[in-house]
Amino acid sequence: MTRLPSADREPVTTNGTIAVANLHAQIAGLAARGRHAGPGPAAAPLAVATRAHLIDLLLLRGDVLSRIADYERAGELAGELVRDAPDDSRAWLARARTRATFHRFAEAMADLETAGQNGLDRATVDAERAPILQAVGCYWHALVLCEDAAKRRPGFTTLGALAVLQSERGEVTQAEPLFDQARRCYQDISPFPLASLDYRRGLMWLGQGDLPAARSWFAAAQRRVPAYAPALGRLAEVDAALGNRQDAISRLRLLASSSDDPQYAAILARVLGAAGHRREAIQWHDRAAARHAELVQRHPKAFTHHAADFRPGTAEPPGRLAPAS
Amino acid sequence: MSDHFSGPRALAEPAADITDVYAFPSPERPGHLVLVMNVLPLAAATSLFSDALSYRFRVRPVTAVTAGPAFEAGADEYAFTFTFTAPVQGNGSGTVAQYGTCTAPGGQQLSFLVGDESAQAPGLRVFAGPRLDPFFIDFARHIATQAQEKLMFRPAEGVNALEGQNVLSIVVEVDTATVLGPGRGPLLGAVAETVTRGEPSARMERMGRPEIKNFTLQPQKFDTVNRDLEIRDLYNAEDTFSLNPAYVGAYRARLNANLAFFDRLDGKIDWPLDEAGNHPLTELWLADFLVVDMSKPFSDDGYLEIETALLAGRQHTTCGGRSLNHDMVDTYYTLMVGGLGGARISDGVDQVTRPATRTFPYLVSPNPNPPELDLMAQIAAASAPPQETAA
Repeated sequence: MTRLPSADREPVTTNGTIAVANLHAQIAGLAARGRHAGPGPAAAPLAVATRAHLIDLLLLRGDVLSRIADYERAGELAGELVRDAPDDSRAWLARARTRATFHRFAEAMADLETAGQNGLDRATVDAERAPILQAVGCYWHALVLCEDAAKRRPGFTTLGALAVLQSERGEVTQAEPLFDQARRCYQDISPFPLASLDYRRGLMWLGQGDLPAARSWFAAAQRRVPAYAPALGRLAEVDAALGNRQDAISRLRLLASSSDDPQYAAILARVLGAAGHRREAIQWHDRAAARHAELVQRHPKAFTHHAADFRPGTAEPPGRLAPAS
Repeated sequence: MSDHFSGPRALAEPAADITDVYAFPSPERPGHLVLVMNVLPLAAATSLFSDALSYRFRVRPVTAVTAGPAFEAGADEYAFTFTFTAPVQGNGSGTVAQYGTCTAPGGQQLSFLVGDESAQAPGLRVFAGPRLDPFFIDFARHIATQAQEKLMFRPAEGVNALEGQNVLSIVVEVDTATVLGPGRGPLLGAVAETVTRGEPSARMERMGRPEIKNFTLQPQKFDTVNRDLEIRDLYNAEDTFSLNPAYVGAYRARLNANLAFFDRLDGKIDWPLDEAGNHPLTELWLADFLVVDMSKPFSDDGYLEIETALLAGRQHTTCGGRSLNHDMVDTYYTLMVGGLGGARISDGVDQVTRPATRTFPYLVSPNPNPPELDLMAQIAAASAPPQETAA
């Protein structure tokens, strides 16, 4: 059984609406600062830090709002950063992160290797390698790295990473207390890391077929950051599976309109189709398929394996993750 | 820049990033102390305060001591703590509003609407909301000075790196007689902090004097003790009035090294180190709070005047503290490079385009459309050798 978030132990974080607004402002400010970063001898150290930070923020906004355009911009900036500062480990680390985002895992690993050769500490390299190993199914190797990190530096980041890894391995009994421990360690005020952790916990329960438990964690993530797109999308999927199609459709319409990730339009098409709104379902499906085709061209490793979700001409394409019935 | 981006944690949590602190006798109301805290560098005109933080001013009576020389803070403390709500629906369509509460010493509370300039209670006026960032500096030429280890300012060509940018401001004006009570000396030490509201509570940032962290604690290359240490997060987490003895040595070593660097910039030594390698300003800098004399009238020329008087062995003549329009970069460089009585060193930026006013809440309204901050280009232009500039 999962233990749901209890109000008396909830970490206090900045209201999600405020945090998203401030994230937008922060990106706008740093983007302007980094736009004309020059190669001057004094500018270089500050420019690398600023530009690497901007890349991280773009990746964060991409995660929170499901904005592929942010991932793409981060990737462009990271490429420029490596070009401008090839001896700086922060540049390689930034590019590794953007490449991993687009599932270019081998290249991301190579960038991390170069970052290490340029002075990035081993703990950071390992912390970045673990989720990549996890993503390519090398769970055992990832587990060694994550357990070592959690043992050496127990805290929100390391315990959370281990919890997510165990959850992906289906080890719910081991993952649950780790999720709890990670939450108890959280001392920052940003709502994003906690929303992400709760979302991942929801995914774990979704994978176990426990829709009410999954829903509670997706809802916790969404309460913390109301605009958190992945949680909203999963909430809609779960609601649809639980028979609450109208709420699901309302959420998904907003998401499909605001996000440039076609998965929400695809899910909306499926839910609409199941609800009998075949005409609108076809429109959303075709829109998703067209966008997906664009993305496959640009990022084949990230999107090709989802091609079945966007088969043209079907009003009810399967989602990435079929909800339990 | 003053205290903008003053460490990795401040970069990660901009809502907690204190950019500046000011303390001065009210130019409008004699006997009233004005405290200003600015946070969230490069804020939008619509930015809001974090509801997960307490924004706190701490004020203590202080006395000057000749050992060091420095200032010692008394045990009595007066805290003004600001907290904010989550955003709520505003009056206009699609607008949001935010409410705040100021808790004064003794528990008196004053609630207000963010942006409202009229909130007051007996002995207390408060304001919180977006304002134009009053800090000014030719940051590019400061960076060039650090990189090239010589003064790179061009007095006639200074460029304010923060021109037109906004911050979130908190202003409290206090009747010291009624709110702080009688029986104090005239000197007060003031700092600002951002502290998490959860349990356990953690100090995110603290600030007393400007540029202590960014000018004199951030540069690592001169520090022979901890050359690879980014020390500012550690320093930010400290209780200003009670530094952890375990870390003071590290702060002292960093300050000694960087203050000596500044002293060398004019090619002569005005601040000889003592036999232990300590710089004469180090203990003053470690007592990192603004010192204001409430028995003196408002002055725009007070910043560091009380401290320099102490160093010179004379009585101070101004209110000290720090006012909004004071050119602290010039004052700072002049003192650190040229010593007491040194010729003025100017970064070429003497004020913002829209200076602060003499009426509450003193800071001017925010810029609805802040310009792009072309800081990197400014730095590159200021630092690049001639051939690179031509390219």
